[in-house]
Parts: sequence; structure tokens; C-alpha cells
Amino acid sequence: MIGGAAGPLPGDNPGERLLNRTVRRYGVWLRSAAVLVCGVLGLVSADTGQTPVAVGLLTPAFLACAARLALLRRPRPLAVPWALDAAVVTLTGLSQPALGGAGADMMVEAIVGIAVITFQFEWATRPVPAAALAVTGLAACVLGDVLAAPGRTPEWKDVARIAVLVCLARAAYVIVRARVRAADRAAAAGAAARREADVAAARRASERDYLALLHDTACATLLTVSRGDSRDWSWLPPRARRDLDALSAAPGFETGSVDLAALLACVPEGDGRTKVLLRTDIRGPLTMPSGPGLAIFQGVREAVANVACHAGVREAALGAWTEGRAVVVELSDTGRGFHPESVPSTRRGISRSVIGRMHAVGGSATVVSSPGAGTLVRWRWDDRSWTPRTGDGPGARDVPHPHRERAVVRLMRRQVLHGAQLAVLLICLVSQFAISIRQLTHYQDLYRPAWAQTTAFVWLAAVLVIGATHLPRGRQLPPGVRWWTVASLLAVSATCTFTLPPQWLTGDPDWAFGLIGWHALFLLADVRIRLFTAFLAAHVGLSITVVLALASPTLDELAAAGIATVSTCGFQLSMRVLVGLFRDAAPAAGNAAARAEELRTRERIHEHLQRDHKERYRALTATTVPLLMGLGYESLSPRDEEVRLRCGVEAARMRRLFAEGDAVSDPLLNELRACIEVAERKGVAVGLAIRGRSGEVPVEIRRELIDPVAVVLGHTRSTARVTVVWTARAVRVSVVGADCADSLRTGAARDPKVSVVTTARGDSVWAEASWSSKRPEESNPA
Amino acid sequence: MSNDAPVTVVVIDDHPAILSGVEMWYATSSRPITVVAAGGSVKDAWTEPGLSADVVVLDLQLAEGGPVFGSLRKLVDAGRPVVVYSMRDDEKTALTCLNLGAATFLTKAEGREHLVDATLAAADNLPYMPPALAGALGASARADSPRLSAQEENVLIEWFQSESKELVAQRLGISVRTVNSYLDRVRIKYANVGRPARTKASLVARAVQDGLIDVDDL
Repeated sequence: MIGGAAGPLPGDNPGERLLNRTVRRYGVWLRSAAVLVCGVLGLVSADTGQTPVAVGLLTPAFLACAARLALLRRPRPLAVPWALDAAVVTLTGLSQPALGGAGADMMVEAIVGIAVITFQFEWATRPVPAAALAVTGLAACVLGDVLAAPGRTPEWKDVARIAVLVCLARAAYVIVRARVRAADRAAAAGAAARREADVAAARRASERDYLALLHDTACATLLTVSRGDSRDWSWLPPRARRDLDALSAAPGFETGSVDLAALLACVPEGDGRTKVLLRTDIRGPLTMPSGPGLAIFQGVREAVANVACHAGVREAALGAWTEGRAVVVELSDTGRGFHPESVPSTRRGISRSVIGRMHAVGGSATVVSSPGAGTLVRWRWDDRSWTPRTGDGPGARDVPHPHRERAVVRLMRRQVLHGAQLAVLLICLVSQFAISIRQLTHYQDLYRPAWAQTTAFVWLAAVLVIGATHLPRGRQLPPGVRWWTVASLLAVSATCTFTLPPQWLTGDPDWAFGLIGWHALFLLADVRIRLFTAFLAAHVGLSITVVLALASPTLDELAAAGIATVSTCGFQLSMRVLVGLFRDAAPAAGNAAARAEELRTRERIHEHLQRDHKERYRALTATTVPLLMGLGYESLSPRDEEVRLRCGVEAARMRRLFAEGDAVSDPLLNELRACIEVAERKGVAVGLAIRGRSGEVPVEIRRELIDPVAVVLGHTRSTARVTVVWTARAVRVSVVGADCADSLRTGAARDPKVSVVTTARGDSVWAEASWSSKRPEESNPA
Repeated sequence: MSNDAPVTVVVIDDHPAILSGVEMWYATSSRPITVVAAGGSVKDAWTEPGLSADVVVLDLQLAEGGPVFGSLRKLVDAGRPVVVYSMRDDEKTALTCLNLGAATFLTKAEGREHLVDATLAAADNLPYMPPALAGALGASARADSPRLSAQEENVLIEWFQSESKELVAQRLGISVRTVNSYLDRVRIKYANVGRPARTKASLVARAVQDGLIDVDDL
């Protein structure tokens, strides 16, 4: 690789990098082949006298080509390949006088012509050395002419023709590169959008995990404290400390695997009144990835706690085993059971801790229960879904996506094809109107009849018009048009062959010989290569057959025809091969892009999860963490009513937080109900009334609106009234608590658009939070 | 009708428990209120002794059918003061009843606090605004609603929220009397829009006569 060392990261612009690599490698091979074939043909047609000198000059040129091929694999400083390339054209030019004759002139012209074109590909990323090589080539060509026939003016028209071809080659590369860059950009934009989606999905999954954890730890503990119905609080400090540990641990970065059997052996059985005797049948070891392992463990822990609270029995059976490649865990009790469908959506133990958690890690959990028939909870995690990855992080399981790669590849192929067709169309236009038209007018007298050749020329121009009306807009030719046009090209080929005296065929007057192939190439670029090959074979075959049959050529005339064929039709075929090569290589570009994408996605997910975790923990440090600290290290007593009230408020806030994720039509009402439910469980009678048509309220505003309700309900002992009023301009959430504890304090809202007003009268406290959905200037025209 | 004259009532409700509750609340009134007839069909309001009752207390939901808006309209057209007393707690029903000419709209949850006063107010052609109705009027976005001042809307909503005129007065720094006058004014504004009805006209007339509202306000 020549210019790759300082290039961008692997995977950036994969299409362009692949294009450059392909044209570079291919350019060297094409040129080497052309030098070899044309050189041998030149030697065949050479004057015998000087052959050893010519061989002495051409052999180093062949060797330089071979060295250059070897350098494709072993990069060297740029000067080395440049010197080799310059040597090839210079030696070829110098060999012209040694070979002598018209054949030598053609050979040099063909080799230099092809070499300076391929230099534009070999040195595609470095236009200056490429241009310098082109100039060297042209100079060698002129030098050859001058040395071969001193005193004669060099053939400037050939020099000009080669210069035009050099420019066309560069233009073709730039056109294709532009399309490939467009494909790269489109793929990168799509990838960025998908990356955001993947990151968002990972964050949601992590949020679910976090909420499940919060539900099982702090929320459960605080709710129990707020109800205050325990006599023996000795279980509380260790549990509060454990909750704190769980909340502060960063989520989602566990790697490696765990033994589920070992984890299940330490499922807490509860203490005192909530003790459950577990009869275990665990057939370990059950080694599995830690994510699903922990999900099952935490789910089992929650389910055991449920047995203690709801089943009315003190015993449960816990079994764990493998079934094929799956790990299965079952917890069953013979308690009073329940209707799984009748569990309200606000009761989150089953849905979030057991089922939601398993879904998040790609497993499943089912609950079978009916009143009186006990409950069976079954976790199942299938090993097939576990594909170990080199990286970590929850998002890693989301990539790669084969269909995404395929889409990238398709896009790349389409763009390359389109670019190649545009480039060939340009080559046709320039060749026909800058080179062929001169030949046509210059040799008018040779054609029999001349009008046939002129008609052929006009028809080829018409073919270009057909192409130009379709291709630039990205449309392909309709199949009917395409095949009729290809057939007409063969007719043009025959016309031009039979209206030119055979001795001139493939020579300078045969303007159509080198041109028709380009027209066919842009018509046939997107179909199988053998069709284009067949076309060229028919076209070239016809000319060669006519030459052989009617002109009875000499050996050196045949060699000259061969050189002409190689330098035009061979070159066209090579271009078609190049397009095919690149299209075949497109999946590699897609894979590189996908790998780069995966890496980036993983980095972003990691970064976001860390930040989210810090943010969530920071939110807890103001409220929940001090409470758990106090309870855990016994500076706060659950016997203190004030402490229990604070616990109730925090539990209600968490319940509201859990409700945020529910997909409901009126999230504000749903979250209010979550808070109300906590108060009702404590024995407060809460009335709820709503007026007006509900509207959209952003989640952070909902938090502010509902918080006073959580606080007042948490301090109310008997009854409360909660109302929501939607007016045209605002939403007003109000709570009136009768018989409130003195310690009640509602803070001001953090959001300036939410105003909180609190009025106290006797034991009653009335708090109202309102949010104006319109901006002040809209509602206040002043 | 003087302010301490006895009031007679016909209660149309198909639930016997409601009836006994209503009679119990009426018994606590310092001004005598007598339920002269009761039944689960509107017919009871059109036959003696229900026909001559001063006030009709009407449950909107009778037997299996939908809300009996048609019966309400007929009673209002006959000039009967009707207190709608309903399980329904949505503002659309409340506004419809008011537009048809009901004296007031009470939800069943408000019966204990407000039925006695609402009945007496209806008997005297005086406005009465229970909280549930106030909430409905305060949040109403209907095009045919009368224009309310910001303070009127505020008082309506806060009365709905707190169910305590003292709390509203305290928060707004006004007297309970002023709170009442805001509520009355809104009620009169509503009586003055929509479908014309004799009950509405007498409500407005009485309000102007008592100086509750200025003729210019309408």
C-alpha cells in the first residue's frame, strides 16, 4: 500500500479506500500486461538488425514492471515506484529507434498511451506524480520519434490524443470516486442514525435494569418502612446497606460468566415473618453469561419475597437444571395463587423484576398460577442466543446486522456502476468529438462510400444522446432500448468495416474501430461481462477476418493490428473487468464499515451508560441515599413517624418513576395514580377528579407537577383530594390533604415554568403545581 | 317565596338507598324540606303529589336507558327548578344540563355537602355552584361558553380543587363573600347563554334584582 499509512481510520470511507486500492493494483497489472504484449508484438514486427539492442532496452522495462508488481505487496518510499514507472516509459521510448519502422512507432505509442492512462489509476490518490509520469511518457514518445527519424517532426496529433486520454482517465477516476464518496456518505449517515438507535435501545435496556433494581431494593425497603407495621426492625439496617451497595454499583458491564447454581444457593430466604423455607433441587454447575444469570437470580429473589408476602405459605421449591442447551429455573409454591391477568399493571414485582428482566437479556419467564392452585414461576434461558463477543457492554448483542451490511453493499455497487457509466459516457463523448471526428474528416476520400461512414458517425452520436438522457439522472436504459442499441452498434461496426478498404482496417482511418467498444461498454456495464466480451469479439473478429481474407497482410502488419486491438479494445475490456472487480469487492467495504460501526456503537453505549448511571445516582443522592444511609447505619429510626413519612414520599416518587415507562395515553394521570396507590396502601382515602381535555406534558414537567402530590399524600393521615384541571393554556395539578403531619414541606419547582403554591389551614394542606404550556409572550400579549 | 318557607321536593332516582340518604340530609336542614314524592321514573314528577313539588331532584341515569336529557328539557320547559344529581362526573354532561336549564348539577359524591343548599337555592331561583360543576365550567373550552375573566376562571378552578371556599379566599387574599360572588356571577353568565328557558330567565332576573350582577355585565 502506498499512500495508506497516514490515511484515516480503517472503516472510514471504506468505499473510497477500496476504490483506490483496486485501481492501483489493477492499473499496475494492466500496464504490465500491455507492456509485455505490445513489446513482444513490437519485437516481432521489428527490423531484424537492431533486435538485440531493442531486447536490451525492453527487457529492463519488463523487469521494472515485475518489480513494480512486487512492490504492490511491499510498500517502499514513493520515489522507488515512481522511478520504476518512469523507467518503463523511458526505456520503451528509447527502444523505438532500435526497433525501427512504423510498427515500432505504433508499439511505443500503444505502450506509452496505456501506461500514462494507468498511471492515473496507479497514482490516483497522488495526482501530481501521476501528471509528472504522464509528461515523462509523452516526452519519451516524442524522443522515440525524434531519435527514430532525426529531422522529422514528431507526430503531435498522437501526443495530443494521448494527452486527451490522460485527462479522460483522470476524469473517469474522479467521477467514479465522487459516486463512491456519495455512497460512503450515505452509508455513514445511515450508520450514524442506526448507531443512535442502538445507543438509545441500550440506554432503555439499562434503564429497565436500573428500575427493576430500584424496585427490588430501595423502593421495597422504603415502602415497608413507610407502612410501619413491623415490630422487629432488626432486618432493616443490613438490608438498607445492601440496597445502597446495589444502587451504587455500575450496571451492565459484567463480563464473563457466572455459575447460576452458586448464585441460587444464596437466594435470601427472608427473616422473621417473611421467612420462606426453600427446598432446593439445583443440579449445578450452571455456567452461563453473567447478564442472564444475574437476571434470573434477581428475579428468583423477588419471586421468593412474593411468596412470603402473598402466597400465605412458608415453603417453596426451587429447582434449576439444564435442558439441552437451555438453563431452566423453577420456583413453585402451594400457596393461594392468583389470576395472572388480574394483577394491576401498577404492581411491578412480576412484570418488571421477573418477566421484564428476562426479556431484557434475551430469555423468557412465565408465571402459571390460579387461585387456590399455587404459583409456578419458570425462567428459561437458551444458550443459542449467547454469542460470546470480544467486547462487552449490553449494546454489543445488538450488532452486527447482516441486512444492514447488505444494504451498504447494494448502495456501493449501484453508485460504482453509475459512476462508471457516467465516466464511460464522458470518454465516448470526448473520443468521438475530439479524436474520431478528425479521422473521419481527414480520410473522407478513402471511404466507399463516404456517406455510409458519416451516417455511422451520426448514429453513434445518437446513441450517446440516448445514454445522456437516461444515465445522468441515475436511470438505467429500458431493456428494449438497450438491446436494440447494442444490435445497431454491431451494424455500425459492419458498415464501417465494409466501407473502408481492407488495408486501412484497424489503422488511423478506421475511426470506429476503437470507438464502438466504449459505446458498448456504457450500454453493457451492468450486465454479465461475457456479453461485453462477446460484443468485442464480434466487433474485432469481423475486422481481423476481413483483413486476413482480403488484405493478405504481412507479419508486421498483423502485429500492428494486434497492437491496435490491445491498445483500444483490450483496454476497454480491462475497464469492464475493473468495474466488475470493484463491484465484487464491495462486500469487503461493507464489512469494514460494519466493523468500524460496531466499534463506535460500543464506545458510545459504554460512554452513555456510564453517564446515565452517574446522573441517576446523583438524583438519588439528594433523597433516597441519605434515607438508606440513615436506616442502614441506624442514625434514623423506622419508629420515628417523620422517618416513615419521608420513606413513604420517596417510595411514592419511585413508583411515579416506574410509571414513566408505561405506554399509556395519559401518562400524567398514570403517574399520579402510581403515587395515589402508595398513599392508599397506607390507608389514606384519596379522591381523584379530572376536568378538561388532557394534553401533552413533557416528562420533566410531569415530575415537577406530581412531586407536590407525592409529598402531600405522603404526609396525609386520613383523606386527600387530587385534581387535574386542563385549561386552554395550562395544566393545574392540585392536592388537598386533610389531617397532615406538621413536618410537611413542599419545595419550589426546579423548572421556572412550573409554579407551586401551597396553602395551609389548620391541618389541611393544599398544594397546587401548574404549568403553562404556552410561552409567556404567547399567553400575555403585553 | 320567603327564605324560611318550607320547601317540597320530588326525587327521581331508581336507587332506594339514594332516596333514604337524601331524606336523611334534608332532615338536617334548618329550613324544612319535605320529599313529597319519590320514584324511579320521571312520571312521578308529572303526577300529584310530585307535580306540585317546588324542586325536582333528578338522577340522569334511570333504569337501563341513557341520560334522560329529554325529560330534563320537558321539566325545565314546564318551569320546574331541577337539581340534576348524577353519578356522572364529566364536564360534558354538566355543561349540557346547564345549557338545558337545570338549576344546578351535583355529582353523587357531593350530595352530603351540597344537596341541601343546592335544593334551597333552586327553590329560591338563586345560583348555586358545587365544586364538580365549577371544575367543568373552569375547564370548558366550548365555543358557546361565556367569556370569563381570569379571576373568575381562577376562582372556579380553585373551588373545584380545594372544595373549600375558605382555602380559596385565603389563597387569593379575598373574602369568602367575594369568592361566592365570583361563583354566582359565572353561574348567571351561563344562565344567559345558549337555549332560552324560563328557569334561566328567573335566575337572571333574581340576580339582577338582588344586585348580584350588573345588567351591564351581561
